[in-house]
Formats: sequence, structure tokens, C-alpha cells
Amino acid sequence: MVEALGRWAGRKARDYSYALGFFFLVLRETALFMRRRQVAFRVLVLQILFTGVEALSVVSLIALSIGAVIIIEGGTILPRFGQTSLVYSILIVVITRELGPILTAFILTARSGTAIATELGNMVVSHEVEAYVSVGISPISYLVVPRVLGVTISMIALTIYFNFFGLFGSYLVSQLIKPVPMLEYFRALLRALQLRDLVSTLVKAFVFGVIVSVVATFQGFKVGSSVTEIPRAAIKAVGQGFVLCFLADALITVVSYV
Amino acid sequence: MESAAGSITALISLQDVTVHFSGRDILHHINLSIPAGRSTVIMGPSGSGKSTLLKTAAGLIPPDTGKVFFQGKDMLLLSEGGMRELRRVSGFVFQDGALWENKTLMENLSLPLQVHFPQLSQAEVERRVVRALERGGLVESAHLRPVQLSGGEKKIASFLRALITEPAILFMDEPTLSIDHTMEEKVGQMINDAKARGCAIIAVTHDPRLTSTLADQLVILDAGVVRETGDFDTVKRTRDTRTRQILAEVLGEIASYDTDLLALLDEEGEGGPQ
Repeated sequence: MVEALGRWAGRKARDYSYALGFFFLVLRETALFMRRRQVAFRVLVLQILFTGVEALSVVSLIALSIGAVIIIEGGTILPRFGQTSLVYSILIVVITRELGPILTAFILTARSGTAIATELGNMVVSHEVEAYVSVGISPISYLVVPRVLGVTISMIALTIYFNFFGLFGSYLVSQLIKPVPMLEYFRALLRALQLRDLVSTLVKAFVFGVIVSVVATFQGFKVGSSVTEIPRAAIKAVGQGFVLCFLADALITVVSYV
Repeated sequence: MESAAGSITALISLQDVTVHFSGRDILHHINLSIPAGRSTVIMGPSGSGKSTLLKTAAGLIPPDTGKVFFQGKDMLLLSEGGMRELRRVSGFVFQDGALWENKTLMENLSLPLQVHFPQLSQAEVERRVVRALERGGLVESAHLRPVQLSGGEKKIASFLRALITEPAILFMDEPTLSIDHTMEEKVGQMINDAKARGCAIIAVTHDPRLTSTLADQLVILDAGVVRETGDFDTVKRTRDTRTRQILAEVLGEIASYDTDLLALLDEEGEGGPQ
């Protein structure tokens, strides 16, 4: 029993130190990305195209829906307490601070996290990663760094887009329930918006982008020699990505209110 | 055998190398010296660790214990520049081709040139790639992706990618496996060309024809242990029962036999101790 526990602890310690080593290697190579002569810029552009541009329609729909839900709920409940004007603060806090970054992270984890883990896993199994090494290309700087940068840049851009679209969506729906002049609506929103809301949303977008991409690339590279490991890597990329994003979300929220 | 690290003429040498996978020894205390400009063929039964040995010698798999030396320098201690130099002077042909599926054939062959010769213009890179593709008869397929190629064409493309930087060392994992006779001849021609220009070749193969035409040095691997190593002529005349059994088994696995080699084994078998 004790022996099994010891083996389990040893295995976990090895796994965590391997993951940490991978993370620091990615950080180092990311810092050196612009100085490298390797031809990874195209991979970065393609990653932004796939992660950012192709996710726009999904993000738009979800942001519009969330904005609509908040304005309907708020517009129904708050007047009962004579707090109609609070709806703007709620919109800012809920969309900008919380749902914007976390829902965008979920969308990217589900789309790009699984795609990255699956693609890299396939490349490991078909020896394409070894082929990169054999011609002198570092898989970290050529395959991982452009994906981490691409996902993180896309995550930040999509979060800002989500926030705009969520707030705009709530405006559109408010016109159906209780029409408010556009200028008045957005002026009220801007009054409710604080600098720390903006900082919070950007910090979260950055951290979630790094988490989603590093977890996905890590899981992709953990695939051994069997194709049956690939779906498991994709599932782990999603599961761990979600959990780590929630933990980071809670931590950043706590720090931003301290 | 001569000390691996101590061998002056050795291009690559392995010293007491052990590699484990999932708690199992795949290679067990291997000592091996790969001389410059000569051809070494690694033979052994399936699962004996041949591909792992090849990849360890190429620096693609780090040893768990022991050391691998490239020109007398420990590969694990090579600087970034040293490692880049090793990659520049070596080419690797993978058993399944391992072409990059998301790139065209042109891009597959261009990338090693762009990495190792960044001073080359795009036009010059393309010119060299087209020349290589012409040699392999694949120039019409330059803008196709690997999935659109046949197995044999993938193998040829894999050779062309490995040879595009004109390496001094060529690692080959089963270069003639699963290809038809025409493709086999093309592959044989490319190997001969590489050998003729002094390229050191390290190959894992079950193909007796290729072995008999290529091997200067033969390494017999059995269950992760080097059973026998030496000049081809010496090893194939060995009196070691297990080595003879392995040679017969390995050669028996394939459909086309090298009659010279098998005849020699039979001839030796009649007189030698079993």
C-alpha cells in the first residue's frame, strides 16, 4: 500500500516537473521567437487565422445571446427593486470582467485546444515531429511557440470582440423591450466601466490564452506511439484547460478586488 | 571492440548506451562505432531495437545511460550551434517517410534548406528543390501534399528531403520496405550516389540485396544487445550459432533472397559448429 502510494507520488512528481520544464522551455523559446531564423512566422499567421478569424461567428452568436440574456433578466428583475440603472454595472461586471474572457476561453479550448492536441498527437505518431528534429528544427520553437502566440493573440482579440458584441447585443435586445437612445445607453455603460474592469479582462484573456495553448500543445506532445492516445490527449486538453482557466479566473478575480 | 569514445576515425560512437521504454530495456549497454565515409547496416529480428538504435545514433532519442558521441563530442553536451551542425550534416529517412502532411512536396524539401542555408534566396531554394525532384522523378508532384502521393513516391520524397542538404551522414530506417521494384531501383541509385560521394550510411534493413551491396560494416542486434559487429564479410562467415540463426531468420522474413548471402550461410552451416 505504502509502496504503491510512493510510486504514485513519484510518478506525479515526475509528471509535474516535466510539465513545468515544458512550460519554461516554451516561455524561453517564446522570448526568443523574433530572434530565431526559423521559418515559423507562417505557422503563427495560420494559427491566428484558424483560432481568431474562424471563431468570429461562434463568438458573435454567444456574445449576442449572453448580452440579450443579461438585459432581459436585469430589465425584468431590477425595476422591482427600483435599481434599473444597476443593469449597466451588471453588464460591465458580468460581460467584461467575467463571461467575456471565460466564455471566449471555453470556445477556444473546445475549438483550438482540441485541434492543436489532435494535430500534434498525430504528428508525433506519424514521426513528423521526429522529422522536424532530424532536420534541425526545434519542435518547441517551430510547432509550439507559434501556436501559443497565435492562440494568446487571438484570445485577447476575441475577448475584446466578445465584450463589444455582448454589450452591443444587449443594446439590440433592449430596443425590443424598452427602447433606450443609443447615445444614452452607451454613455451609461461607459460611466459604469472602470479601468480595473479593462485591466481584468485583458489580464484574464492573456492568462487564459497561455493556459489553453500550453495545455493543448503539452497534451499533444505527450502522445506516445499509438493513435488511440490522440482522442485521450484531446479530452485532457479540454478538461485540464477548463479547470486551469477556472482556477486562474478565481485567482485573478480575488487579486483584482484586493 | 575499440572504445567508442576513443575511436579517432569514428564519426558517431555509442558508449555503454541503454535506452528504456515503459520500464523495459530496448537497448542494453550498446558499444558501437560508426566510421566516416563507410556504410553500416544494422540487422536483427523484429523488435530487437534496430530503429531505436538508429534513432539513438542520430541523436533523436537520448540514451537513458551511456553516451553518444558525434565527432568525439558528447551529443547531449553539444551547444545549439553544434547540434545545428550535426543536423546540417546528417539526413534521416524514416521507415514511413514521415513527410509533413500539412506541406506540399516543394515545402517539405524547401524547409531543411531554409533552416540550414538562410542566405539562399527563395528562387535558389526552389531551383535546388526542383533539381532534386527531377532526380526522383517527382517534379510533376511538386505542389501535391503527401496524402496525394503513393507509398513509393513518399519514400522517394523522404530520401530527397534527407539528401537535399547533401549530408555527410545518412540514416535510413528500412529504406526499401513496402516499395515496388521500380521504386527500389530508384532508391538504390540514390543510396549508391550518396555512397559514391563519401557519405557515411547507417541503415536498418531486412533487405539482403541492399545489405550485400551496401554494407561495409554489419551489426547484428538481438534483444537490444549487439550480438556481433565487424566487416560484412567477417560477420556473415561467423561461427556464432545465434548470429547465424538471426541472419537466417531475418533473411527468411522477406520474399526475395540474396542467393549469394544465403548460399554462403548454407555453405558455412554444413561445416561449422551448430
